[in-house]
Amino acid sequence: MADDILFELLHSEIINYSLEQSKDNKEKKDMDLSVVEYIGFAAGYKIMERLTREWPRFKDELDTMKFICTDFWTCIYKKQIDNLRTNHQGVYVLQDNAFRFLTNFSNGHQYLEYAPRDIGIKMDSDGSKNLNHNIRSIAAYSIIKEIQELLGTLTLR
Amino acid sequence: MAVCVAVIGKDNSPLYIGGVGNDTSTDNELSRQWLVHTALDALEERLATTNTGNAGTNTNTARTDLRDLYLGLLYSTDTHKIYGYVTNTRIKLVLVTSSTSPSGSNIRDAEVRTALRRLHALYADAICNPFHLPGDQITSPKFDKQVKNIMMNNV
Repeated sequence: MADDILFELLHSEIINYSLEQSKDNKEKKDMDLSVVEYIGFAAGYKIMERLTREWPRFKDELDTMKFICTDFWTCIYKKQIDNLRTNHQGVYVLQDNAFRFLTNFSNGHQYLEYAPRDIGIKMDSDGSKNLNHNIRSIAAYSIIKEIQELLGTLTLR
Repeated sequence: MAVCVAVIGKDNSPLYIGGVGNDTSTDNELSRQWLVHTALDALEERLATTNTGNAGTNTNTARTDLRDLYLGLLYSTDTHKIYGYVTNTRIKLVLVTSSTSPSGSNIRDAEVRTALRRLHALYADAICNPFHLPGDQITSPKFDKQVKNIMMNNV
């Protein structure tokens, strides 16, 4: 258990650090997450090559999504995705009811505006993984109702 | 023995092409690129049939065969045999053996499979280098050395 918390602490420190670096450039409230997103992208790109090495070829998009929701999610976030929905036309909705990087937030709306920066890193590791599967995707995430829930929508084109 | 090994990215850009033999000769370098790139069409074709084959009704044995990352012999010319391997992340690995040399002509399928699997492992290690940018060519001398090693020893 101790090694789990290390990654979470490192993650939150990376977020703080990169926001601190970019604070001078922008006085406005919108955050510069490009550094964090790049870290996520590169990490996702590299880890996917390892994770999929022993797997048989994915036969279609849905197969890939199942892999993401179970094995990839377990590897990074220590749990499987709670709900996967699709319209079979390239839109996938992933729902995680207790997203790892958000579970430490206290319940309520107080910190709701800060939450997006913490999922920046995650969003891109997700995006890159899809990209790596030769699927161009647009990922958009929203935090709904309870702060610890994460709703991700992947639109494949 | 293998004369050439190549790693091709998912947009068909060459990430690494290495070969043993007259390394400095430009002709050789060009002919390697030519060999590898003529194999790409065969690779795409093989992948396409794999996908449609899976959509239809298949026996279990055929399915596991089709879903293997190793695609086997793509085609052979008078002088060379070309083997292919496509990872789940659409990185294409191509291995060319010479059918004129005695060690290359009677090479077994299983040996090529092992070599390509090892190459995949090396590739996964190489892109984990923090100084390597995703999508860039692989310039690592260590990777180069290890790949040459595979080509000399195993195949």
